[in-house]
Amino acid sequence: MSTIAERKSPTEGIRRPDEMPVLRVDDLSVAYKVRDGEVEAVQDVSFEIYRGESFGVVGESGCGKSTVAWSIVNFLGANGYVKRGRILFQGQGLVGKDPEELRRLRGDQIAMVYQDPMQALNPSMRLGDQMAEVLTVHRGISRSEADKRCVQMLERVYMPDPKDVMGRYPHQISGGQQQRVVIAMALLNNPALLIMDEPTTALDVTVEAAVLDLIDELRHEFDTAILFISHNLGVVARVCNRVGVMYAGEMVERAPVTEIFANPSHPYTQGLIRCVPKLGADKSSSVLYPIRGRVPAPDKRPSGCGFSPRCDYIEERCRAEKPKLRPLGDALLADLHSVRCHFAEEIDPGAWTPPEDMEIPLLNGEKRAAETAAAETILQLDGLSKFYPVSGSSLKDMLGVGEKRQVKAVNGVSFDVPKGSTLGIVGESGCGKSTLIRTIIGLEESSGGQAQFLGVDITDDLADRSSEIIEELQMVFQNPDSTMNPSYTVGQQIGRPLRRFNKVNSRAEEQAEVIRLLNAVRLDGSYYDRLPRQLSGGEKQRVGIARALASRPELVLCDEPVSALDVSVQAAVLNLLMEVQAEYGTTMLFIAHDLSVVRFFSDSVAVMYLGQVMEIGPAEAIYAPPYHPYTEALLSAVPIPDPSAKQAHIRLEGNVPSPLNPPGGCPFHTRCPRRNLLPDNGAICAQEVPPWQQAAEGHRIFCHIPLETLAEFEPVIQQ
Amino acid sequence: MLVRDCMTRHPILISPNWSASEAERLMSENRIRHLPVVEDGKRLVGLITRQRLSMKPEMLGSLNVWEISRYLADLKVKQIMIKRKSLVTVEEDRSVERAASLMSENRIGCLPVVDDDDAVVGVVTEVDISRAFQEMLGLPVDGLRITVRMPNRPGEFAKLTRVIADRGWGVMGIGTFPSRRNPGFFDAVLKIPNVTEEEVRAELSKIEEQKVIDVRSIV
Repeated sequence: MSTIAERKSPTEGIRRPDEMPVLRVDDLSVAYKVRDGEVEAVQDVSFEIYRGESFGVVGESGCGKSTVAWSIVNFLGANGYVKRGRILFQGQGLVGKDPEELRRLRGDQIAMVYQDPMQALNPSMRLGDQMAEVLTVHRGISRSEADKRCVQMLERVYMPDPKDVMGRYPHQISGGQQQRVVIAMALLNNPALLIMDEPTTALDVTVEAAVLDLIDELRHEFDTAILFISHNLGVVARVCNRVGVMYAGEMVERAPVTEIFANPSHPYTQGLIRCVPKLGADKSSSVLYPIRGRVPAPDKRPSGCGFSPRCDYIEERCRAEKPKLRPLGDALLADLHSVRCHFAEEIDPGAWTPPEDMEIPLLNGEKRAAETAAAETILQLDGLSKFYPVSGSSLKDMLGVGEKRQVKAVNGVSFDVPKGSTLGIVGESGCGKSTLIRTIIGLEESSGGQAQFLGVDITDDLADRSSEIIEELQMVFQNPDSTMNPSYTVGQQIGRPLRRFNKVNSRAEEQAEVIRLLNAVRLDGSYYDRLPRQLSGGEKQRVGIARALASRPELVLCDEPVSALDVSVQAAVLNLLMEVQAEYGTTMLFIAHDLSVVRFFSDSVAVMYLGQVMEIGPAEAIYAPPYHPYTEALLSAVPIPDPSAKQAHIRLEGNVPSPLNPPGGCPFHTRCPRRNLLPDNGAICAQEVPPWQQAAEGHRIFCHIPLETLAEFEPVIQQ
Repeated sequence: MLVRDCMTRHPILISPNWSASEAERLMSENRIRHLPVVEDGKRLVGLITRQRLSMKPEMLGSLNVWEISRYLADLKVKQIMIKRKSLVTVEEDRSVERAASLMSENRIGCLPVVDDDDAVVGVVTEVDISRAFQEMLGLPVDGLRITVRMPNRPGEFAKLTRVIADRGWGVMGIGTFPSRRNPGFFDAVLKIPNVTEEEVRAELSKIEEQKVIDVRSIV
C-alpha cells in the first residue's frame, strides 16, 4: 500500500531483434458504402503490436478508433469493407480471408473486450455456464474440467469468492466484477491478441484503477499483445507502451507512451493534452483549454491536412497538401516517433498561448471565495436524508409485521452553499450524489432533516412548491440526448421554460430572449430552428445549459454535465459553465465522479460515500493532506495523463457495501486502508460514529484518525 | 527457470488443410523454422520444419514439369507435417534443463509446448535454450567472469560464497560444470559486476584448495 507506483521505461519489454509483430496493420483504409457513394472512415493507418505489448489508440469519438478494431475481426457490418491495405495477424493476411478460417482465429487467438460488460454477458445465463461454454463448445473440454479452469481464471483476475460467482447471474455482481468476468472469459483461450475497446469507460474511477492494474499485470504474465482503444489519455498513460493518436480517420502521431506525453508533436495531440484536467499540485495546472471546432464527419473532411480547420498553426501549405505520417527528429528515434504534420519540428507546445477568441475562465478562485464568504447562504442542508423503503418477500413482511428495511441513499447530509459559489460533489457511483440532488430539486421527497433554499423549506412535496422556487432551481442533466424532446426544435425547448414562468409576453420577445440565451452559450441564432439530432453532443449540452438558465435561476444543479462528452468539448462546456456563472452570479451544485474535473471548477468540494459526506472543504484543501482516507483513495485512482507523474498506489478492496445495510460506526471502515493507524486495527471505526474534525476554516473531515496523523500522509501525486 | 519462462508464447500456427506453399511462405516471410499445425482449439496435430519442406528429387523424378506444379499446388500441410504421434512435446511447468535434454536426446531443434488438452501454448527452440543459458551465466550484464576450480565435496561452495558475502559483492550469474579433464573437481563460473581483477584474484586465492583458473571481462 502507498508505495509509489513504478512507471514503465521506454525500453521496457525489450524485443528480440528477430521478432515479428503479432499484429501488423499496413496503410489500412476502411470505407463504408452509403446512399451516395462511400465514405472512408479510416485512411492509411499503420501500426504494429508485438507480444506482451499494449498499443493504445486515442482520439475523440468519430475519429475511427473502433473502425480500426472492427476491421481486424471483420465486424464492419454489411456496408463496410477494407478498401486498401493489409492486416497481418501472426504473419497471415486477414483481409479477404475465408470466413470459416477467420471464425477459427477469432475463437482461438483473438479475443475482444468491449465497453459495456453487461452487453457481453448473457443476462439469462449463470456466469459459470457462459464461461465454461467457451471451453466446452470450442475446445471440447469436459464440463467439470472447464469449471475448474474457469475458477482458476477468475482467481487470476482477483474475483472474490470465484466458486460462488460461477453460480450467479450477471446482474448479481457489480459492474467492475462483470468486466473482470469478461476479461477472464477473453483470456480463457490464451489469445495472442486482445482487443479492448474502451474497457473501463463504463466503470467507476476506483474500479477502473483496479481493472487497469489487472490488464497491465495480465499483459506481462500472458505475453498477450493488446490493442487498447480509449478516449482517455490518463488511462492510456497507465497501461500502454506505445500510443497512436487518431484524428478524422488518420493516425496523426505514433510514439512510445513517455515520448508522446513528454514531447507531443502534432498540434492535435498537444491540444488533447491541454484539454484534460491534470490534477497537479496547484490549481492553475487544471485550467482547461478546449480545441476549437469539432471532428468533421467522414464525408466532410478537408482536402489538405485533416486537422487544419482546428489548428492554431495553420499555414497555406496545410490547406493545399495532405501531410504524410513521417518520422520525427533524429534517426535514432526514427521508427519510434512519427507524426503527420508539415511543421512538427517548428511547433513548440511550450510557447503556445491561447488564441484571443478562446474563452478561458480567469483564475479568480480566491477572489471569488473571498466574495462568497461574505455572501448570504442560499442553500442550507441540515441532516437531509432520503430513505427508500424496501419490501421484503418473507411472510412476515407480507403481513406487515417484519422489520421495516430501508435503503439509506442519502443519510444525514449537512452543508451550506453561499450565494454565487460552486460546490462540487464527488464519489463513486451509488454513493448518493444524484439522489441528493434529486431530493434538493424535489424529484424525490426527503425522509428527514432540513433543507432551506433562500430561507424557504424545500423538503415538502414538489406539488406544494411555489413556482417561484421552481423557477430559481434548475438542473442540467448528464445525457443531453435523453433529456431533450427529439421532435422539438431548439427554440421550442428553450422557449418553454420562458413561457412557463411568464418571463415573456409575446412570441417576438420569446424569440429574442431564446437567441440571447443561445448567444450566452456561444451558439448563434441559426440554431433556433434546428432539431436535437442536428446537433453534436457538445451543442446539445449547450442547449441544455441555455434551457436551465432560461428562468434565470439562483441555483443550478449539474448532474455530471460533461461526462458524456468528448474531452475537447468537455473543456469548452466546463469553461462555458464558469463564464455563465460569473456573468449571472448563479450558484451551482456540480456532481462528478472524477476528482480532477471538479478541481478547477469548484469553490468547495464534498466527498460522499454511502450516502454520507466524508469530507467537505475548500477545493484546494481537499487535494492535499490532511484528507480523509477515502478522498486519498479516490485521488490515487484518477488516471493521470502523464506517465512520469508518480501516484500513490492505493486500491480499495471489496465492493461498496449495500446501502440497505450500511456498516455501523464509520461507513467506510470495511474498506478503509488507513484503519491500521488506529490502535487495535481501528476497532473504534467499526463501533463508533466518527467525529467531524475541523481541519481548517470550512474544512471538515469525518474520521477517527487524528488530524495530525492525517496531515502526515504523503501527497498522493508527486510530479 | 521453467519452460514457461523461456518459451516463445503465441507462436504462429497453421491449420492442416492449408497448402504447403502457404506454409512455406509464412515461414520464410516471418523467418521462422518451425510451424506447429493445429486444429480447432489450438490442439496440436503436427509440426512443419524447414526439412519437411525440402522436396526430395526422387519424389519428383518421375513427374514432368506440369505434373510437378500440379503436385505442388495440391500438396497440403497435413501431407508433409510430422504427425502428432511422432512429435516430442513438453509442458510449460517442466524445467529448462529437462526441455534441453529432450531436445538433445531426440536430436531435435524445437519442442511444441502444450497444456493438458494438447493445446499449443508456445514453442521452445534451441535459440530459446541458448538464450536461457546466456542469462544464467549473466551475459547481458557487464562484469568480471571468474572461473574457480574446487574439489567435488560438500562445503566447498560455501567457502567461496562466504568470501563473496564478506566483500559485499553481487553475483549476476552463476553456473557449475564438472571439470572436463579433472575428475573430482567442479568449475564454478561467476559473473560479478563492479570489481577489479586484482581484488578478485587476491581475495579468492586465499581460499584453501580452490583455484582461480580464469578471469575475463567479456561483455
